[in-house]
Amino acid sequence: MGRLLWEAIQRSTTGPIMSEEAFETELFPTVLADLQSKYKIEWNPDDPVMIDPGMADAVFQAGMELLLEVGLYCKDTKRIVKFTQEEIQEAIATAKHEVTLGHGRQAITLSPRAPGDERHPYTFFPAGALTKDVELYKNYALTVVQEPTCDGVIPIPLFGVGDMKLVADTPAQTLVCLTEARLMNEVATWAGKPGLFLGIPMSATTPLTLMSCFGSGLYNKHNCTLPVQILQDMRINFDRFNLAFFAEQHGIEPWMSSSPTLYAYLTGPEQGAMEIIAHTLGMLAYSGGTLTQAMSLSVHGTYVGNDITWCNSAAALAAERNLKLPWLSFGSTANPAGALSDDAWYGTAVACINACISGMEGLWLAGGSTGMESRWAGEITRAAAGLRPQEGVEMINKINAARREPNPPVMPLDKLYDMKTLRPGPELLGQYRKFTRIFRELGLEYPSWVD
Amino acid sequence: MATIADLRRVVGETKTDAAAEMTRELLAAGLDPMEILEDGVMNGLNDVGNRFAAKQAIVLDLVRAGVTAKACIPLIQAAFPVGEGKKTDKKIVLGTMLSQHNIGKNLVNTLLSIGGFEVIDIGEKNSPWDFYETAENSGADMIAVSVVFAPAMEKFTEFIDLLKEMKVRDKYPVIVGGAVTTQKWAADEGADGWGAQAKDGVDLARNLLGVA
Repeated sequence: MGRLLWEAIQRSTTGPIMSEEAFETELFPTVLADLQSKYKIEWNPDDPVMIDPGMADAVFQAGMELLLEVGLYCKDTKRIVKFTQEEIQEAIATAKHEVTLGHGRQAITLSPRAPGDERHPYTFFPAGALTKDVELYKNYALTVVQEPTCDGVIPIPLFGVGDMKLVADTPAQTLVCLTEARLMNEVATWAGKPGLFLGIPMSATTPLTLMSCFGSGLYNKHNCTLPVQILQDMRINFDRFNLAFFAEQHGIEPWMSSSPTLYAYLTGPEQGAMEIIAHTLGMLAYSGGTLTQAMSLSVHGTYVGNDITWCNSAAALAAERNLKLPWLSFGSTANPAGALSDDAWYGTAVACINACISGMEGLWLAGGSTGMESRWAGEITRAAAGLRPQEGVEMINKINAARREPNPPVMPLDKLYDMKTLRPGPELLGQYRKFTRIFRELGLEYPSWVD
Repeated sequence: MATIADLRRVVGETKTDAAAEMTRELLAAGLDPMEILEDGVMNGLNDVGNRFAAKQAIVLDLVRAGVTAKACIPLIQAAFPVGEGKKTDKKIVLGTMLSQHNIGKNLVNTLLSIGGFEVIDIGEKNSPWDFYETAENSGADMIAVSVVFAPAMEKFTEFIDLLKEMKVRDKYPVIVGGAVTTQKWAADEGADGWGAQAKDGVDLARNLLGVA
């Protein structure tokens, strides 16, 4: 067992006791506010991206001190797990800076890239649909995986399989998750991409299912990672330890994930970025992972806006300069208004450009969308790689100011695609062409963007 | 001497000790407890809620405002002539379905309690049976469910089915809310009410339980 995992387990039974209420309403917000003030970390609401290296280093230092001062709150024992500075520094010094995802010809290696690097961040597309209909799920996934720019996928959770409900903590959930895995493998094979990186088991909600679904080999250490994500606002539980230990013992890459909720216990994106760093260092300690996924969201229910992109970029740049872990952030390719919504296409572009200029190595695209929207994400990321940070910021400002057409009626997949050939129909192709033209005018190019 | 407007301000600033002290002072001065409650405490709470809606306050401010209000309300309730307090005789079982999220649920708890309801908070990671069993054992009048991530939506469906199967569906009005839910989804699943925000829970409870 990793030494710091062992230490974390021990300290979860011996560390200082505190009520969760005192932790979340007093200790955590007080230290957070003091550190933000000490390091003068301020966001200008007009800024969509944080590109200041000095502030990035301040975010990193504040995040480090946040972890050291507050520790991780263990919900199972009501105790605080603290690490020493030497332990965290050693974890950073010994961390791996590259990770290979997928296998065979589909294997990709995420290695450090700086803001403006000509190498593009990898794009992991959402595959599937929120449904119990296995055929519909598969078709959605096929439209995505067939795209040449699909570097990997993150499955959409299956709600069930036909009439069989997903019942958590039972083999039913495991069976649903195995069905998800089977479909993902099948889809990858159909698309000529066996060995594609398949993300994380998304239909699993419990450690039991997460661990069980690796037993079949459908999800395995070559094509999948295991979530060991920290809980909101510096909290852990025994499930985190069990998952980290399972990943360690089976050679599976841990999926380290931090998702701070802005405006809940965090006052804004500055504190969100600090928390992401503290979370990452905590997960690095207990899981020894490499691949990191960090994304913020607002308690008001959105994944878009200057506050969200600023937070994601600040954390990514802080990590790029001080950790150099393979770093993913988040972009939503789906929109409740459907696949033909201008908001969705512009929003995807903002997330992708932000990833390029913030030194990220990849982008988790989510939402349950069509292949064309995923293609757009992959292509815009490739087109925007190499943009200097200031150029990217200016482009995002133009995007944010661009006029949007009113949302058209939502169209189901069989109206957007020819279901026999899985080729996009005229409306979807029209939207794609419209946006490639817009972005060519903005100064980006990609080989398929021709009229 | 402090005024009710001062109390509203300190509740809005979530200064718990100052608010409690001011409440005592206002009561001792003989002001109407109902005015102190509604114009001072509740309006102060509303001010924080409005700032939150305008993105000028965070959930932590709402929690702290709730703590502040909870420090004042028992003092005011004690000053009501018997039978005229705001407390209702209605019990509500409240919990998060399946997941460990609790921010919204805790907020609903605070607001329902302030609204005079007895809240039986069963915490997080609950199954449909947990809600049903607690409601039966406690003599609850209503059940409020927080559904925060997609797999819990399926559990909510199971929960409604369970209530029907146990022949108690009509006994308990069921309200639901949470990040992944929508009004249409709630209606389709058979919920009696859906709240977009925590404060909606109080209005729903009042309407469904016939509390003035």
